[in-house]
Amino acid sequence: MDINLDISLMIYIAAGGLILAGSAGIVLSTHLLRIIFAIALLEAGANLLLLLASYRDGTAVPIIVDDHIPAVMADPVPQALVLTSIVIGVGVLALALGLVIRVQRTYGTLDIRELRERMAEDIADDAGIGRPVSSHAPLPVQAPGVVGADANE
Amino acid sequence: MRRFTSALFLIGLGLLIVAIYQQLGLQASSNIGQAINTVAADQLGAANFVTAVVLGYRGLDTLVELTILFTAATAGALVLGTRKPSTKRDPDAGFILQTGADLLFPLLLIVGLYIIMHGHLTPGGGFQGGVILASAFFLPILARPGSSIDHHWVSFIEGLAGASFIYIGLLVMFDGKAFLSPVAGNGVFGELFSAGTLPLLYAAVGLKVGAELAGLLANLSDTEAVD
Amino acid sequence: MNNLLLLIALPLITAFLLPIIDRFSPLLARLAGPLVLLATSAIGIWNWTLLGEQAVVIQIGGFLPPLGIVFYVDRMALMFAIAVSAGTLLLWPDGAKDRLRQSTLSLILAAAGSGLALSGDLFNIYVFYELTAVVSYGLVVSKSNPSAFAATIRYLIISAFGAALVLCGIALVYQATGTLNLAQLAQLAPEKLDNPQGLVAFILMLIGFGVKAELFPVNTWVPEVYATAPTRVSALLAGVVSKLALIVIVRLLVLVFHQPEAQTVMLVLGILGVATGELAAWRARDFNRMLAYSSIGQLGIMFIAFSIPGQAGVFAGLAVALHHLIVKPAMFLLAERWNGSLANLAGAARSSPIAAVLFIVLSLSLVGVPPFPGFWAKLLVLVNLAEQAQPLYYLAGVVILAGATLEASYLFRVASSFYHVDKQQPLPSAPRTRDIMLASALTAGLVASIFVMSPLAEQLEGMAAQSSDVDYYIQTVNPVVLTGGQR
Repeated sequence: MDINLDISLMIYIAAGGLILAGSAGIVLSTHLLRIIFAIALLEAGANLLLLLASYRDGTAVPIIVDDHIPAVMADPVPQALVLTSIVIGVGVLALALGLVIRVQRTYGTLDIRELRERMAEDIADDAGIGRPVSSHAPLPVQAPGVVGADANE
Repeated sequence: MRRFTSALFLIGLGLLIVAIYQQLGLQASSNIGQAINTVAADQLGAANFVTAVVLGYRGLDTLVELTILFTAATAGALVLGTRKPSTKRDPDAGFILQTGADLLFPLLLIVGLYIIMHGHLTPGGGFQGGVILASAFFLPILARPGSSIDHHWVSFIEGLAGASFIYIGLLVMFDGKAFLSPVAGNGVFGELFSAGTLPLLYAAVGLKVGAELAGLLANLSDTEAVD
Repeated sequence: MNNLLLLIALPLITAFLLPIIDRFSPLLARLAGPLVLLATSAIGIWNWTLLGEQAVVIQIGGFLPPLGIVFYVDRMALMFAIAVSAGTLLLWPDGAKDRLRQSTLSLILAAAGSGLALSGDLFNIYVFYELTAVVSYGLVVSKSNPSAFAATIRYLIISAFGAALVLCGIALVYQATGTLNLAQLAQLAPEKLDNPQGLVAFILMLIGFGVKAELFPVNTWVPEVYATAPTRVSALLAGVVSKLALIVIVRLLVLVFHQPEAQTVMLVLGILGVATGELAAWRARDFNRMLAYSSIGQLGIMFIAFSIPGQAGVFAGLAVALHHLIVKPAMFLLAERWNGSLANLAGAARSSPIAAVLFIVLSLSLVGVPPFPGFWAKLLVLVNLAEQAQPLYYLAGVVILAGATLEASYLFRVASSFYHVDKQQPLPSAPRTRDIMLASALTAGLVASIFVMSPLAEQLEGMAAQSSDVDYYIQTVNPVVLTGGQR
């Protein structure tokens, strides 16, 4: 393998670790803010991977200062791509946080499981159909003293 | 069940990341970055090749990126709504923050404008400088939550700056060349007024980003907290 | 042909200036959006007449590919660009609330869709895709009721996850090939991307772009969002935006990733999409979500079609895509007043006979009953699947047929309830005249196409041939050979 082992391996481990941590946060977390932070981590990892794509050891900054042209300059394209990507990430995260604020205000909770249930209930209510009832929900308890009621009803 | 499948997915992802490293072949022997390094100085006259890529070769990406910020700010304003004037505001911050904000405001303004204007010569540019400008305008709000940004000015500046970016690009088109071509000559290499329209474009970008982020931050801080 | 860039520049500049225009003249602000979209549609159609047999390349900024970004304009791309402009114009928001912001967002959607259809550069496609995503977050949340916020944040999470995956895929591709231009990628693909790294990059990009294309398994956002968004927005998303995302994936598949494993993955995910979509639609109890699940099923059919190798696959997929582009928005237009429980729709034929007839015609075409266009599209897919002579493709054919049966079942269950007379229940409200007129226009176009099916099919086949010809693409764009020199 011809990739310069030391530095690029470390960067790859960092990028891979960030991606893994971000993905873990998104799929495993139940708190909405944690998921948003995990998205930020994931995007950081992806940006790092993009920068790594044309990494070369010992290159100079791709800027010409005082008419002194360096021998080997770094690749400016991934830098420009990551610049764009970071700005996009900022925009999306800002919008996400705004949404989280509204969700907290209207539902009062940031737990994603509870949010899902209540959203399904709200949608069902708006549509005028019955609320979705889980098949695992416990049976309604019969009031004591009801004469002749079938307990299995 | 969900945790189980999630854990499986993550283990798979981890293995995939390791496996990719094993498989990563040789880097491409030649790529567009190297080619750009060779020709950018002559074609665009910018000393900073990253700026040459961002505003020149990939100018359309930058335009779309600006639009994404604009859309996020618009959608954010749509989501967050306006504050009822009767709600209580947070009290003013302490002495240190107020003095610090007063001292830092002109400093941040100058640094931000400097970075924007020198984007084609030194590292930096419109986005970086714009963020600094936004923080300059947001500090007073942190120090005195009672004061707030005038959103009319914010939307005015961001709309005008964004439109001028596209306008500069369109002007070129009517000249017969393709959209977003560099014009106005290259000037003397390394001077402040060089590289054609690049400083103008970055100025538009910087103002737009600054106005937008300041407005977005103001919106976020303006929303009422649940008591 | 350079003026095609106005399809992007004009809506954007109008969107940026709209708040300022509104301050001076609200009337102008209200008219500006539709006028601009009318202009861009006209420009698109005019260029369509100019575009002959050859595809055209627009170099943005005058920079030669692969250093700069290019727009590749072949008939398929231009058709979708026109569809975006026309669709956004026809489905222009008309709520009184937040009119300014909705107009701004709709204009930006038109620009983003046009860019997505026309672009020939990988990262450029990614940023246009992100723009489409952010605009759709804004549009979906317009109704500002609690469930809309929750649905939007869930949609945002899945979409952001997918976008990060696409970035990883782009990183892998750039590492292997050193370029982002699709034509040059097509040139370099056989030697540099025909390996596990290429396959992983494709799968990452498939799942990432597949969020908008309602691919299984990242389509969990679809029913919630379509149920809580304004119906015009749902119509746009389901009808137009999903096709654009699909076309992006198809371009990648045809030009860059030629491995058979890539097609197999698409095929499997398509089969799963059809199965889950149609089954869920069968169980749905309200109109909006029934349409949403049905849309997932139809997009699954498109994925299956595009995974058939060669020109035949692209032809079949294009046929289904074009058909769905017309039918689904029409159905969503009818859903504007009919949203809600399916049980409440009993007797709708009495309150609005035209709408009931429209729904029946659209359902017939969607299921695939001759002589409607839907029949021909599905037949094309099935015939090409049968020709492949591989077990997985046969399975796909069986699943599509089973899906069609389910579709018939749930669509005609609804249609028959229209004519069911129940004296106790109040009649459902009739769709608005404006929606009915628009839906009628679309349905009329659908029916009219029955009579011009042959020339239409020839046109589509020509489009498919042009778009699936990799050598032609490389030749037309003609990326400059890179010097390997260091400087």
